[in-house]
Amino acid sequence: MSIIDELARAGGTALYLQRNYDVLRRVVADSLRRRGLILEPLSEAVEKRSWVRKLLWRALPKEEGVKPYGAFLYVPPGLRIQAPLTFCFVVSEAEQLVHNVIVIDEGSDVLVTSACASTKRGEAHEGYTEVYLRRGARLNYVMIHSWMRETRVTAKTGVEVGEEGSFTQFYTCLKSPSSLTSDSRALLRQEATALLSTLYVASPSSSTTISSTIILAGEGSGGEVLARAVAVKGATLRLPTRIEARAPGSRGHIECRGLQLSPDSRIETTPALYSLRGGSQLTHEAAIGKISEEELYYLMSRGFTEEEATSLLVRGFLETGIRGLPEVMKPQVDAILSILARKAVG
Amino acid sequence: MALLELRNVHVAVAGRRVVRGVNLEVDRGELHVLLGPNGSGKSTLLKAIMGIPGYSVVEGEIRFEGRDLRDFKPHERAKMGIAMAYQSTRPIGVTLSRLIRELCRLYGSSPADISGLGLEGLLDRELHRGFSGGESKRVELALTILQRPKLALLDEPDSGVDLESIRVAGKAINRLVERGAAVLLVTHTGIVAEYLRRVDEAHVMVDGKIVASGELPHLLREVRVKGYSGLARGGANEHN
Repeated sequence: MSIIDELARAGGTALYLQRNYDVLRRVVADSLRRRGLILEPLSEAVEKRSWVRKLLWRALPKEEGVKPYGAFLYVPPGLRIQAPLTFCFVVSEAEQLVHNVIVIDEGSDVLVTSACASTKRGEAHEGYTEVYLRRGARLNYVMIHSWMRETRVTAKTGVEVGEEGSFTQFYTCLKSPSSLTSDSRALLRQEATALLSTLYVASPSSSTTISSTIILAGEGSGGEVLARAVAVKGATLRLPTRIEARAPGSRGHIECRGLQLSPDSRIETTPALYSLRGGSQLTHEAAIGKISEEELYYLMSRGFTEEEATSLLVRGFLETGIRGLPEVMKPQVDAILSILARKAVG
Repeated sequence: MALLELRNVHVAVAGRRVVRGVNLEVDRGELHVLLGPNGSGKSTLLKAIMGIPGYSVVEGEIRFEGRDLRDFKPHERAKMGIAMAYQSTRPIGVTLSRLIRELCRLYGSSPADISGLGLEGLLDRELHRGFSGGESKRVELALTILQRPKLALLDEPDSGVDLESIRVAGKAINRLVERGAAVLLVTHTGIVAEYLRRVDEAHVMVDGKIVASGELPHLLREVRVKGYSGLARGGANEHN
């Protein structure tokens, strides 16, 4: 069975696979197609549907030169799908610029997984993803990426969450590149909620910036930014986070923790809270530290080598940054935690 | 050859001798109780046997199955068959369920080995974070059982907890002994001993030295009558 078939099988309900600019596979379960779910190249969607054209670059600042070479997903109203809808992008030569648009219509509840990867000849990946959740829609957006060291990665995600909608984003990299910039921003309407969470282990001598912003634009909206980041030898990690309250009765929380496994690594967390109207509640906690010797020796006295004990503690540290993931993703995330913890100790 | 042999052991912490010339032998499967007041060096002695950094043996030697432990790191000592239940510890950044899984993998033990110790509500929590005193003691004993030790070092499993927790601690210690472990049990009061099926020998440690050895009931009576300081001055009367 080819890796593509395996992905199709794992994807369960729908799969979109693009290598460089070629769409290799586009599969949608018949039952979903009949109910109006659309998964197609964005270029096709823009050509066929004027409402999609009008949406473009509303959730993100327009990037000149980025063409609609990516995926378009539309989930019609009232659809609840437990199994993941999967996007997969691979850059195997030169540069890849991707623009995706996801629209989840009223009251739908879906899980979208995004698997992005590169080969050694993939020089750069630039991904722009716009997400629109209409009233009462729920989206779990799980991004699991794996990059070769040589690939430069830029990812921007803009999200608009409609009234009473709910957006949960989980971002992690199994293999992190030497240079990565990621920027996620979510705008929340009345009573909408969002959780932007990141688990990241920076590779040696890498430079990484992961920004997360939530704008509480609607009354009673609530947002949380959650980050757990580990820096190893020579790595520099920046985690700017921001919550901006523009409506009364809104609430936001930032929880950002960094773990330095090497004295020559560098972590910067800069949580920023802006309250532009009275009646909102904003809090943050940020911490950067190293593994304590007491914890290390406790585990060593139970029979673990120093590397095993460190790996267990890194895993435990990352695990506290996981919240709101659907049950169906838990086995994968468990495996991811083990991989990241092993990587962290080399 | 005894399983554990301490010969004239002196242990220093931050440059100060806390344990001063302890001699002790524990044979396979034996349960020894070590009594003593706060600060007498009991916990320090256990940590030195376990090889925790900062608890340096500056004189004498500790032998386990005839091997001098001097050059063995804590994880190597654990693999040799020494396990420790700590009196108190700061939170450890691992969930209890993960640690149980990893210990079962490492030692070929099973979660069934620790059934009945009342850990169900704690499994998804970070180890010792927000645990009550009784919960921490139960967890420490359970983790020690999962290591299938030849020698279990138990540091005050009965201090600062309610009677029900002491009963469960007794149950866990009996389980260790049933499975063939030798036990060196540190206690202030000896109260946990009421729940043990057997105690082979007891010792009283005062000011870094073992000042009396014998049967536990006799030593407890002596402590009640003379106090630890009295025992340190005059030793225990012969047990009739």
